[in-house]
Amino acid sequence: MLPWRGNIELERELADRNNREGMKGWLNPRRYGWERVSYWLQRLTGVGLLAYFVGHTYETSQITGGPALWEAFLELSQTPLGHMILIVVIGMCVYHSANGIRLIFAHGGKGLGKPGRPDYPYDAVSLNYRQKSGIWIALILAAVAMLYGASVLFGGE
Amino acid sequence: MTMLRESQIMKIHYITAVAALFVVAIHILMRIAFMPYGMSLEYGNVIANYQSIPYIILLESILVLVSIHGFNGLRVILLELRQSKKWEDGVTILSIAAMIALIAYGTRTIIIANGLGVG
Repeated sequence: MLPWRGNIELERELADRNNREGMKGWLNPRRYGWERVSYWLQRLTGVGLLAYFVGHTYETSQITGGPALWEAFLELSQTPLGHMILIVVIGMCVYHSANGIRLIFAHGGKGLGKPGRPDYPYDAVSLNYRQKSGIWIALILAAVAMLYGASVLFGGE
Repeated sequence: MTMLRESQIMKIHYITAVAALFVVAIHILMRIAFMPYGMSLEYGNVIANYQSIPYIILLESILVLVSIHGFNGLRVILLELRQSKKWEDGVTILSIAAMIALIAYGTRTIIIANGLGVG
């Protein structure tokens, strides 16, 4: 008799631990193709944008310290490195938004296709050209927005 | 621990996402559409933003919507990585606490900057 038998909570936790791949499973791009890449890009950009938002909230709070502190802080962030970070943030923001809209539709059942008989090689009907196009559109829009952002930030205005 | 079902939380997640998209787009447009980007960051122009009631509403909306969406998103990622009652409750409580702290800090900036003069 195993000591944890009967303790449903503990049994569930142990089973979960045994099946868990952790971060390796989360980041593995080999399974599920582009949809997997889109899955972790959505999460990485989300975490990146949250970090930027926290930093931006702190950055803008420097305005309360008066003009001298604000100008000093701007000198720190309005540098080529600061601009490069902002361009990456623009790309993350546009990708996260466009791919997020695709996901809202997908979670609502739109664009997933009709359920079909599972025939060899068992390609999932839901992972269709509409979903793949959505991922590519999100990536292209992000690239275009980054180019536009670069032109504004490095354009000398 | 859960006062709302996950399906209800996901609806909030999506509604805040779409709403945030609009308000953040307006915020970015304000930085580049009416004057050059560099000029829009000058002290006087930024303070003028904080003294305009519609812009204050916009900034507070961004703060609330992005905080809710962002910290709930982080919560979802952390719950995908590991599951147990202790972990799930801890992550939920910390996410809500961080969300409230960030909204409070951002609101403090808006209130103080609103009281500052340009001169």
